[in-house]
Amino acid sequence: MSAMLQPQIILLKEGTDTSQGKPQLVSNINACMAVADVVRTTLGPRGMDKLIHDEKGNTTISNDGATIMKLLDIVHPAAKILVDIAKSQDSEVGDGTTTVVLLAGEFLKEAKPFVEDGVHPQNLIRSYRNASYLAIQKIKELAVSIEGKSLEEKKSLLAKCAATTLSSKLIGGEKEFFATMVVDAVLTIGNEDRLNMIGIKKVPGGTMRDSFLVNGVAFKKTFSYAGFEQQPKKFVNPKILLLNIELELKSEKENAEIRLSDPLQYQSIVDAEWNIIYDKLDKCVKSGAKVVLSRLAIGDLATQYFADRDIFCAGRVTEEDLQRVAAATGGTVQTTVNNIIDEVLGSCDLFEERQVGNERFNIFSGCPSGRTATIVLRGGADQFIEEAERSLHDAIMIVRRALKNSTIVAGGGAIDMEISRYLRQHARTIAGKSQLFINSYAKALEVIPRQLCDNAGFDATDVLNKLRQKHALPSGEGAPYGVEINTGGIADSFANFVWEPAVVKINAINAATEAACLVLSVDETVKNPKSESAQGEAAASAMGGRGRVGGAFRGRGRGMRR
Amino acid sequence: MALAFDEFGRPFIILKEQEQKTRLRGLDAQKANIASGKAVARILRTSLGPKGMDKMLQSPDGDVTITNDGATILEQMDVDNQIAKLMVELSRSQDYEIGDGTTGVVVMAGALLEQAEKLLERGIHPIRIAEGYELASRIAFEHLEHIAHKFEFSATNIEPLIQTCMTTLSSKIVNRCKRSLAEIAVKAVLAVADLERKDVNLDLIKVEGKVGGKLEDTELIYGIVVDKDMSHPQMPKQIEDAKIAILTCPFEPPKPKTKHKVDIDTVEKFQTLRQQEQKYFDDMVQKCKDVGATLVICQWGFDDEANHLLMHRNLPAVRWVGGVELELIAIATGGRIVPRFQELTPEKLGRAGLVREKAFGTTKDRMIYIEHCANSRAVTIFIRGGNKMMIEETKRSLHDALCVARNLIRNNSIVYGGGSAEISCSIAVEAAADKYPGVEQYAIRAFADALDAIPMALAENSGLQPIETLSAVKSQQIKENNCCCGIDCNDIGTNDMREQNVFETLIGKQQQILLATQVVKMILKIDDVISPSDY
Repeated sequence: MSAMLQPQIILLKEGTDTSQGKPQLVSNINACMAVADVVRTTLGPRGMDKLIHDEKGNTTISNDGATIMKLLDIVHPAAKILVDIAKSQDSEVGDGTTTVVLLAGEFLKEAKPFVEDGVHPQNLIRSYRNASYLAIQKIKELAVSIEGKSLEEKKSLLAKCAATTLSSKLIGGEKEFFATMVVDAVLTIGNEDRLNMIGIKKVPGGTMRDSFLVNGVAFKKTFSYAGFEQQPKKFVNPKILLLNIELELKSEKENAEIRLSDPLQYQSIVDAEWNIIYDKLDKCVKSGAKVVLSRLAIGDLATQYFADRDIFCAGRVTEEDLQRVAAATGGTVQTTVNNIIDEVLGSCDLFEERQVGNERFNIFSGCPSGRTATIVLRGGADQFIEEAERSLHDAIMIVRRALKNSTIVAGGGAIDMEISRYLRQHARTIAGKSQLFINSYAKALEVIPRQLCDNAGFDATDVLNKLRQKHALPSGEGAPYGVEINTGGIADSFANFVWEPAVVKINAINAATEAACLVLSVDETVKNPKSESAQGEAAASAMGGRGRVGGAFRGRGRGMRR
Repeated sequence: MALAFDEFGRPFIILKEQEQKTRLRGLDAQKANIASGKAVARILRTSLGPKGMDKMLQSPDGDVTITNDGATILEQMDVDNQIAKLMVELSRSQDYEIGDGTTGVVVMAGALLEQAEKLLERGIHPIRIAEGYELASRIAFEHLEHIAHKFEFSATNIEPLIQTCMTTLSSKIVNRCKRSLAEIAVKAVLAVADLERKDVNLDLIKVEGKVGGKLEDTELIYGIVVDKDMSHPQMPKQIEDAKIAILTCPFEPPKPKTKHKVDIDTVEKFQTLRQQEQKYFDDMVQKCKDVGATLVICQWGFDDEANHLLMHRNLPAVRWVGGVELELIAIATGGRIVPRFQELTPEKLGRAGLVREKAFGTTKDRMIYIEHCANSRAVTIFIRGGNKMMIEETKRSLHDALCVARNLIRNNSIVYGGGSAEISCSIAVEAAADKYPGVEQYAIRAFADALDAIPMALAENSGLQPIETLSAVKSQQIKENNCCCGIDCNDIGTNDMREQNVFETLIGKQQQILLATQVVKMILKIDDVISPSDY
């Protein structure tokens, strides 16, 4: 009898979770919406911050969409897509990370009723793609170029863009102050592609207003040995020698052994070793350099030797800082002290050691090639400075983007409303289901102004209707109207200088549509029970890198063996 | 995070370990944050002012600290709550930047939060409150500049500096000899200050303490005090016109850094090696003698043989002197640190008028004083006191006083203390509030009320009727148009802080207001707290 029984075919491992079909699609959409809800309130100048506190006791207070998404540690497979698009927006454009998540969530929300009604997802996807293409065309059409303006004019235009980005951040109160700072910094490095030429140093203490921009390089005083305080701390027009070698009394070769058979030769060995180091130091001095920096240690002997000869030295300068000094002063990092010619020495107008808060800072200013800038950030608390750094990063990215593409659009939800209107209009010309889908896409775009109002505590419906009316004016003069965040009405965003680079919007719409389409195209998830933990680890490791090198060489004390 | 359910009603997990996380959002989050911020401020409130009380803190390993310095209290409290940590950092950054007013800044932030809570209950959007505070803080900032006075001082006329330092010290436990301590602090700062660049490197002021004696014995030494004694008990205890060799090499035969081996196969070779070693010692001592050194200070130790030789040749020496101290000695005596005996030259010797070893009381502890230095760019403040806690607290108080003196050298503007500056700002902010349309007006008014918290706390701590006193002083300020009226904490009989000589630095006050506003803004802006639930 039993042979007759149909044996159960086990295809997948036990415990594997397979969900499929429409319910699966809907539940994916729900998950994405739940994630979008988290960052919803951070949008706009009245957006709130999130305090995220992990098991290790690290606390982050942030308003930056990408940062929050990363820290949330999302494991749901579909919702992870949203994290990815936030990340990609962050690396591609730098700003608008909240926008992109919000848009994707909203696109999915609009798609949900259709899916429940039995529309084939592929139909939706096709229409969404089409709509996004049209939207991007429209943005390009509406964008205003700032090309061909004079430098002064450009500067103030860029500052406006930066100010728009900063207005939603914690440092919004000082946005003009920081916007000019960011623009100056970006213009200083010019077309240089390496972003690490703008250094951001964080010094707790003081207020935001105490932050300053150094037209050159600044870094924290490095670990120093006895004798350091006897070195001069200020030079006008010094020559700077950059090294990548150790200036220390040490054995020249590892694993070498000296065998002496005559005790009288002992002294000569000792002398030989001293001569090697003295020779090196002498060459440094002879080169005419007044400031000697090295990536590796400069020992106590060298420190005292330099102090005797009125030369300033700093050892264990971090790689990044040294590169910046090299770029700024026009010097080249040397790996030997032989044959130092004048060309490899850098120079700057002024070098000095200055007190910033509780730290001493080495500051090189007035550098000839001027390819670097350093922003020294001050603030009342660590988290505060961290957040300020993230905000400045966004602003820097925006300014760089605007400088490259130099087209801008009106912010404050104006551009979203305009695209929405355009798409609605376009939808009416389509026969077939697609009309409905494009209409809902258009509706989804309205989420940006709506959320801006919600966050500020205004009546969103009221404001949106006013905006719709303005944008529907046949003359087209209402196109730049957006939400006026201070009064709760509507205003011409363009005239109010609420601007953002067009590329932010283009990228946001592109990424959000892609993500929405991706989620819609999934109809089955196979979740392997074991891979759960592996996935978690992968997420954790991805979390680790926001690519910034924190904590240079800490330690303000002088390290001396007692 | 709200649980999401799929179509079959099964919950699905979006966040990693979602169940173990708690999430607080919206108004609840803000209320909770404000409550914890206020709790921290409440602890410090009683420490404010000349009649403020001290706190005793015991660390996990049993060390006891008694202090009324805000930054120290918060640092030692080891708070766990995230918002409370922000308050700790607030006071720390005031400490870093200004060095004084660390209690005031926290009390101020607490008051601002308290006011914000009331406004939140009325339904005002937190960002609007934050914006209003920001506006108000600028008004107060400018008003402070307006009421500030320039304080002229020079290297000879240091009285104004002393007066300001005395204000700082008056709130500390050491206030009974605040005059002498203030003088010490000012003189020390002036000795190391670079008046031209307005830069003061506090690293050059060494603060050393020793239990015993009384507080009045605290002294400023134009030179360095090292907690060491002569290497040999029979060496002379006092050297006049000392020429000091500052060495970073040990009195030992030199060793090559490379791995080495000396092959000794005959007795003769062994003899030569031994002789050579002895010759080294002899040479070393001779070198020091030759250049004319009368004292050797060494970072490392000596061989007993060397010690004996030094003693024999009548060359006093100090061993195992730490690197930082060595550097300070070099700066103070104008000598150079010498890394090798071969490099010793007469020019590299440091000079000091008097070097003496001093024993204290009945203990065996001895210290070496290096005084009357040629170039006293490094000084030492030597604190005496009845017990260790007292000395530690004196050190902290002196640090505050040093910072105040430094700030005055950087910027010589002052405002009047005793809460008078806050009251004056409060009046100015209150008056300005009416000019602002919109919701911000309420926040600005609340800011004015919060400013009153500091004089209020001062009065309360001094045992006065807080509300009565404050309103009397306030009306007096308006009536006489005199911004120097403050709380008469010491019961001297006048409200005029100019007569009482109670001053504070302008930058310190401005920093307090800006920092407090900044942190409160940050706290108000948080509407979502996600944390592991075991907290």
